Amino acid sequence: MLKNAIHFVKRFTRSLSFKISFYAGLVIFLALLVFSYKTISSQESSFIKKTVKDSVKDSEVIKAAIGNGMMTKERGVIREIINAIGMTEGFREINIYDQKGILYYSTKQIKSPVPINLSNDPLLYDLKTNSHVRHKISDDGSVITVVNPLLNIPSCSASACHAHPEIEKILGAVELKIGLSNIRQEISRNSHKTIAFAIALFLVICTMSGAAVLLFVNPAVKNLQEKTSKMAKGEYEPHGQTVGKDEMADLTRAFDYMSLQINLRTNQLDTSRRMYKALFDEAPCYLTVIDKNFRISRANRTFNAQFGEKVNQHCFAGYKNKSSRCENCPVEKTFYDGSSHQSEEIWNIDGHESHVIVKTSPIFDEKGQIEEVLEMAIDVTLLKKLQFKIEQQRQEFQYLFENVPCYLTVVDKDFNIIRHNNFFARDFGVAEGKKCFQVYKGLEEKCDNCPVEKTFQNRAVNYSEEIWRKKGEDTYIIVYTAPVMDEKGDVTAVMEMSTNITEVKRLQGQLAILGETIAGMSHSIKNILSGLQGGVYVIDSGLTRGRDDRVKAGWTMVKHNVEKISDLVKGILYASKEREPEYQQYELGQLLTEVCDLYEAKAKDEGVQLIRDFQRRITSCLIDPGGVHSALSNLVSNAIHACRTEDTEISHHVVVYGRTERDRLIIKVSDDGVGMPEEISQNLFTKFYSTKGSKGTGLGLVITRKVILEHGGTIKVESKEGQGSVFIIELPFREVIDGGEVENESLLEFSQL
Amino acid sequence: MAKKILVIDDEPDMVTFLSTLLEDNGYEILTASDGDEGLLKVKKEKPDLVSLDLLMPNKTGIKMFRELRRDPEISAIPVVMVTGFATDDTPNMDFKKWIHERSIRPPEAYIEKPVDKDALLKEIKRILG
Repeated sequence: MLKNAIHFVKRFTRSLSFKISFYAGLVIFLALLVFSYKTISSQESSFIKKTVKDSVKDSEVIKAAIGNGMMTKERGVIREIINAIGMTEGFREINIYDQKGILYYSTKQIKSPVPINLSNDPLLYDLKTNSHVRHKISDDGSVITVVNPLLNIPSCSASACHAHPEIEKILGAVELKIGLSNIRQEISRNSHKTIAFAIALFLVICTMSGAAVLLFVNPAVKNLQEKTSKMAKGEYEPHGQTVGKDEMADLTRAFDYMSLQINLRTNQLDTSRRMYKALFDEAPCYLTVIDKNFRISRANRTFNAQFGEKVNQHCFAGYKNKSSRCENCPVEKTFYDGSSHQSEEIWNIDGHESHVIVKTSPIFDEKGQIEEVLEMAIDVTLLKKLQFKIEQQRQEFQYLFENVPCYLTVVDKDFNIIRHNNFFARDFGVAEGKKCFQVYKGLEEKCDNCPVEKTFQNRAVNYSEEIWRKKGEDTYIIVYTAPVMDEKGDVTAVMEMSTNITEVKRLQGQLAILGETIAGMSHSIKNILSGLQGGVYVIDSGLTRGRDDRVKAGWTMVKHNVEKISDLVKGILYASKEREPEYQQYELGQLLTEVCDLYEAKAKDEGVQLIRDFQRRITSCLIDPGGVHSALSNLVSNAIHACRTEDTEISHHVVVYGRTERDRLIIKVSDDGVGMPEEISQNLFTKFYSTKGSKGTGLGLVITRKVILEHGGTIKVESKEGQGSVFIIELPFREVIDGGEVENESLLEFSQL
Repeated sequence: MAKKILVIDDEPDMVTFLSTLLEDNGYEILTASDGDEGLLKVKKEKPDLVSLDLLMPNKTGIKMFRELRRDPEISAIPVVMVTGFATDDTPNMDFKKWIHERSIRPPEAYIEKPVDKDALLKEIKRILG
């Protein structure tokens, strides 16, 4: 009960309404007190002033009475007046002193004048000299003493009685003592009234203001209080419009607005907190927060799933099962310099060596000091493996690129070679930075129909077949171009792959030739068969009709065609068989003479002049005379044949030329006959080709070429249609050593050619 | 009276064979070894039929044929073209086509070497009636 009461009082005294009303009342109460004090003291001084004034008046009356009494010598009157006045309320004493301080008259019943020692009296010690009216309040404030000096007026000095000499200015003094107790009482009464009023006012104000606070402030405050506590619990939802126009309503509205803002911010904070939490937990890497003692203070789910619950353990223990700190610790570095650090480490995770990238960043407290360090560890083993694989593949590709047996170049938009492979460098030298057309073909401008340019335009694989002429030799090339694209799909360069297909082309040509050879051969055989058939018929006919001439003619036909077929077979055998030349010491001039002699008659028959442009005896050399003879015979025979034109008026020439030039034998057979179109001269030595109809086998030049090649020589033809042809043979000059015998070694060498 | 046939071929073997064959079958034979000679004999002898080898020196068979057809005096004489060339592998020698593209009357018959006796005789009989 008492406790409750004390509690209530405590609560009450702490309450705002108590404080407001108490202090407001107190202030007013004190103000009132100060005011009353001031009023009372001024009232007091004005009372005293009035008393003094009245006393002076009274003393003047007494003075007049004294003067009058003195003049009339009726001293009793003076006493009566004094007594009469002294009877008035308030008067305590009236004393009249002469200049020597002898008390002559007093309300105190004195019988005769009494000398009084006034030297210590504050008002009367200078009685003889002080001509001013003066007063003094007694120390206890109960009595006021007024002294009015008796001045020597002319009536006094001039009267006949005992005239006071003029020199005496002051004759004596009237002293009035008036009690102040009445006034004091009055003032004290007033004071009590004032205090009572002040207390009453204080109580009224206390009550009023307390009530006002209770009525107007407390409910609003309580309301806000409730809202605040609700808000603190997160339950407050501001709703509705606060009515009212006073400051409390404004305050409530401001509060609602504030709480709305707080709610909003809190939600935002909460959302981002949740997000970061999720991010932290679900990040596909190990995330830990490490404190200054290298202990794990937080770890994300990924970490926990892999390493287990390791909070409060040392990071080196948690991550690596180690008992001491790691060397080169990025966490330590971050604690030291406050910046992020990274290291690549090899960890043992699940018994496997794992490549891990560790990154650390500082976490600052509100003072900007590093509180903890966030450690992020990413397992990049897979990446490393892929990297390794990629590197391996890159090396493989590099190897392929460098060693693939075709020319690979990467060319930019301006046809500059950016890269090329070793195979390319082998044949063209290092050519990076040079123009592709320059390097490949020695051209000054880009090639017509350039596949690189096409690929830059159509972003697709293109190809072209090209012929490179180098040192008089044709090389057939197939060029493929493929775009090299960047990640946006723009073609940044073009890869050019050139494959030498000369051999393929040659085989292709040979295949075609083989086909033609077979066709030509069957044609030849057909001709021969037809001759045989005819011969057989003619013999039959001769036998049946008994005509010997026909039998003879038929038989000649048969023999002739049998010879032809035998020649053909021999030719085919010769052309198709691998054989070594049968080298003998022979004079080239001799050989050429023999061939010319053989065709001299035929040339004359055809109206062709056979010109021998060689010396009959030129250097002896090693040669297969049989082979070379037949080869040259073919050429001369063909040359004479080529001169058989319709126009018999013009005489034709066949020139047989022979020289030795340094280490070579040069033989030329030229004519000014019909010549050949290019398509014929190109395949002349490989094609089964005859211009002689059924008389030729078509094998002549095939055999000729074979013989020359077997000697290690070359044969080529230059021909113009309508102007003639020239066949040029170059044979290596094989010298005869020691009278005709050949060194075994060199013979061996030759045979290998 | 026996019909006159002119055999023109640059190969003596062929001439011997064809003239023997045709003689045996009752024709009178004349021979020539090239185009020039052949043309002269046609004009002189006015044979009933000409057997003409396609490829010959001194005027090929084609040239001679063209001249023969352009000469109104002899253009009516029927011609049997004898050729050793199959046409498949030698497109330049696709003379049949070549001849047919010209505005002249084509040969009355073609015979390929080796000559099929019966076919030749049959063609000649057909032409001479």
